[in-house]
Amino acid sequence: MNVAKRKLVLLPVLLSLVTLVSACGGSNTKAGNTADPTAEVQKATAVPAKEGKTVGGLQLPIVSDKLDLSLWSPSGGNFRGTNFNEKLSFQQMEENTNIHIDFQHSTEASAEAFSLLMSSGKLPDIIYNDLWGTDSGKYGTQGALLPLEDLIEKNAPNFKKILDDNPDIRGQITSPEGHIFYLPNLVLDSQDLTQMFPQVRKDWIEKLGLSMPETTEDWYNMLKAFREQDANGNGKKDENPLVTVNLENIMMLFAPAFGVDYGFFVDNGQVKYGPNDPKFKDVVTYLHRLYDEQLLDPNYLVDTTFQTLTEKVTTDVAGAWFGWSGSYMGNFTTLMEGKHPTFKIAPANPPKGPNGDQRHVSFRWQAAAHGLAVSSRTEHPEEVMKWLDYQYSEEGILLNNFGVEGKSYDLVNGEPIYKKEVTHPTNGLTNTQELLNHTIGGGSWATVADTRYAEQIREANGQTENPLELYSDYIDFDSKLPPVQFTTEENDTVVPLMADIQTYVAETINAMIMGRQKIEDYDKVIAQLEKMGINDVLKEYQVAYERFKGK
Amino acid sequence: MAVPVKVAKVESRKLPVKRSPIPWKRIASNRYLYLMLLPTVLYFLIFEYKPMYGAIIAFKNFNPYLGITDSPWVGFKNFEKFFESYYFLRLLKNTFLMSFYSLIFIFPASLTFALLLNELRLKKLKSFLQTVSYLPHFISLIVICGMIIDFTKPGGIINSLLLGIGLISEPIQFLILPEWFRTIYVGSGMWQSLGWNSIIYLAALSGINPSLYEAAVVDGAGRWKQLMNITLPGILPTVLILLILNVGTLLNVGWDKIILLYNPGTYVTADVISTFVYRRGVMEENYSFSAAVGLFNSVINFTLLVLANRISRKTTESSLW
Repeated sequence: MNVAKRKLVLLPVLLSLVTLVSACGGSNTKAGNTADPTAEVQKATAVPAKEGKTVGGLQLPIVSDKLDLSLWSPSGGNFRGTNFNEKLSFQQMEENTNIHIDFQHSTEASAEAFSLLMSSGKLPDIIYNDLWGTDSGKYGTQGALLPLEDLIEKNAPNFKKILDDNPDIRGQITSPEGHIFYLPNLVLDSQDLTQMFPQVRKDWIEKLGLSMPETTEDWYNMLKAFREQDANGNGKKDENPLVTVNLENIMMLFAPAFGVDYGFFVDNGQVKYGPNDPKFKDVVTYLHRLYDEQLLDPNYLVDTTFQTLTEKVTTDVAGAWFGWSGSYMGNFTTLMEGKHPTFKIAPANPPKGPNGDQRHVSFRWQAAAHGLAVSSRTEHPEEVMKWLDYQYSEEGILLNNFGVEGKSYDLVNGEPIYKKEVTHPTNGLTNTQELLNHTIGGGSWATVADTRYAEQIREANGQTENPLELYSDYIDFDSKLPPVQFTTEENDTVVPLMADIQTYVAETINAMIMGRQKIEDYDKVIAQLEKMGINDVLKEYQVAYERFKGK
Repeated sequence: MAVPVKVAKVESRKLPVKRSPIPWKRIASNRYLYLMLLPTVLYFLIFEYKPMYGAIIAFKNFNPYLGITDSPWVGFKNFEKFFESYYFLRLLKNTFLMSFYSLIFIFPASLTFALLLNELRLKKLKSFLQTVSYLPHFISLIVICGMIIDFTKPGGIINSLLLGIGLISEPIQFLILPEWFRTIYVGSGMWQSLGWNSIIYLAALSGINPSLYEAAVVDGAGRWKQLMNITLPGILPTVLILLILNVGTLLNVGWDKIILLYNPGTYVTADVISTFVYRRGVMEENYSFSAAVGLFNSVINFTLLVLANRISRKTTESSLW
């Protein structure tokens, strides 16, 4: 109900009524929960800080004498900036909570930097990682992380409320031993769970007199037409119809149409491994056809950076890809503005396979795998917990998503609205980049991602429809493997077996797509996987999955 | 490395045998020499010997929060895991071949290059060539690999060249085809290190007594005779020592360049022990396992080194010890 009210206020900005209806329809189940953290925004931000107030039951400021806490996180990339204390949101947060965060940054968002930190044993108070979803249990058992259940109970009223309102989330972040070792990034609106999706050059489709592809055959014909009929009109056969930064993205696009996934998935409560399923042969056959006729980028194994992909899109040779709303669709549209007369990208439905399978698999769970964990070495567990809880308070959510009032947004009728300097920056940055100069971004931090952030940025970019809404109908929560965690013993079985299996699968599947190995022999692949112990792995996955479901 | 070892040996042999209070006097009288030796000794103690203690995690299930001493022992379990790995034999073969090809192509090439440079009369041309050939050594590996990727791609310089002279009719996807990986690795390795590796030979060449050449000229020897009878024998000890050292690192293939160039399409020939350890050890934080593989590597390398040294000592007079 509250969601509807909030949307109504936004009506003037919402150009599409369809969007509104489907959005409310899609989020009904979660409506009650979504409203809570944002409904009282007005009250919370109206009160000036430092006067000893409470936000959602959390007493502010958290400490009376200024306290220093340390936090490790990668910087740059999605986070932008070299020190988070340069962001106005964190400066304001320091003022409100009286806690100074001493950020320790690694220069790159690398898994190596993280694992070296963890093995050094010298840990800061708080640690960011984007794989806590599957790894926090392991580090927790090792003794690196502090179990947080009791601390949440006593010191985190805001986060506790979210957990109580969304029992699913509690399950998604609890380790096999029953501990919570990290606080995740949260999305409470189910329509916003979609991540990447198929994108095609709408103007090429129109130019060649095609219609948006619906089935895998339509996709083939469309890509074929792009290549054969000189879609970019330069007289050269230089079109690279389907481009990607890795095979996984292509697999997410097509494998579900044949009833499988490239990795683990769930089929009627049974955990399965895609390449171990006889149906996977059809996926490989299909992709081999694309590769063979040069519809799939012949260089897909080497050109694995986003930069090379961007180059192909902006030089007008790429026709379709599987990517994000902002960094792909929005970014490319901005880059091509004024440089190409007709350039237009449209989201396409997930392709329907020969047996009618149609599923969208690129979506996240409400609780993301990324977030913040507390190290066991901290000397201030309670203060750390309170600071983390602040991230989930109405005030914290606003700071993380919108920045500081008056600097990057204004409150209009109680709704935060980005300032024009943010949505239409004149300093050469894209609006997402400009926003990240003000704040950390609601999607990347241990906080709640606010729907209104994506909405406003999208509208500023001239996209009236929410591409993500297209996919909520095709999302099947039951067939995606949830973020299961393993016990130490299970891990000892799974990790070494999977190391070899993954090498084998990557090697064999790519060789088959490129025509270097016969696809007719797919039975042999399955036999080989069995020899390499896939059944033992699946057994452990099944146990972990059932434990997860039982929670 | 050879020098401090020898000094130490001489000392230890003399210490217990003769005039026990005297060495202190001798040390005192040579104190500046010993002072100069000290940094090297400290370096080896701190950076080479102390870390060896950590190698025991190969026999443990290492947990950083328990520390090296408190982590539980697991015996040879980590080694067994490695030997049982499905790809063990392939890794061993790839590692060995990659090193072996580098050795048989790059090693003689650098020697030949040094000899050719040495024969050059024009001093300016010589230093120009030297500078040009050293340069790749100073380029960051990331840049080198970026260049390799650019050069070898279908529209890249190598394909254009081959197409241009009609050797091939369709561009070759060099980096996707496993049969090309070793060629690319060794070829680019040669370009990277040819000039740099030749420095040590040039140094050895300049150490040959010029009067030997003068005498040879008087005896009527031409350039070829001089090369065969003076130059080559003159630098042979250096060549052999370098060869022995190279054999001793046969199983050490740098992972960084391979990581930057390989992909699932080329795993068949490109996956080596160190890349495997990287994927298993650093990415999966399986430190005990990678320590075990590393230790295995070192044992093999050490054995090879001892063998090569023994063969060299038997057949020629040069050896490391």
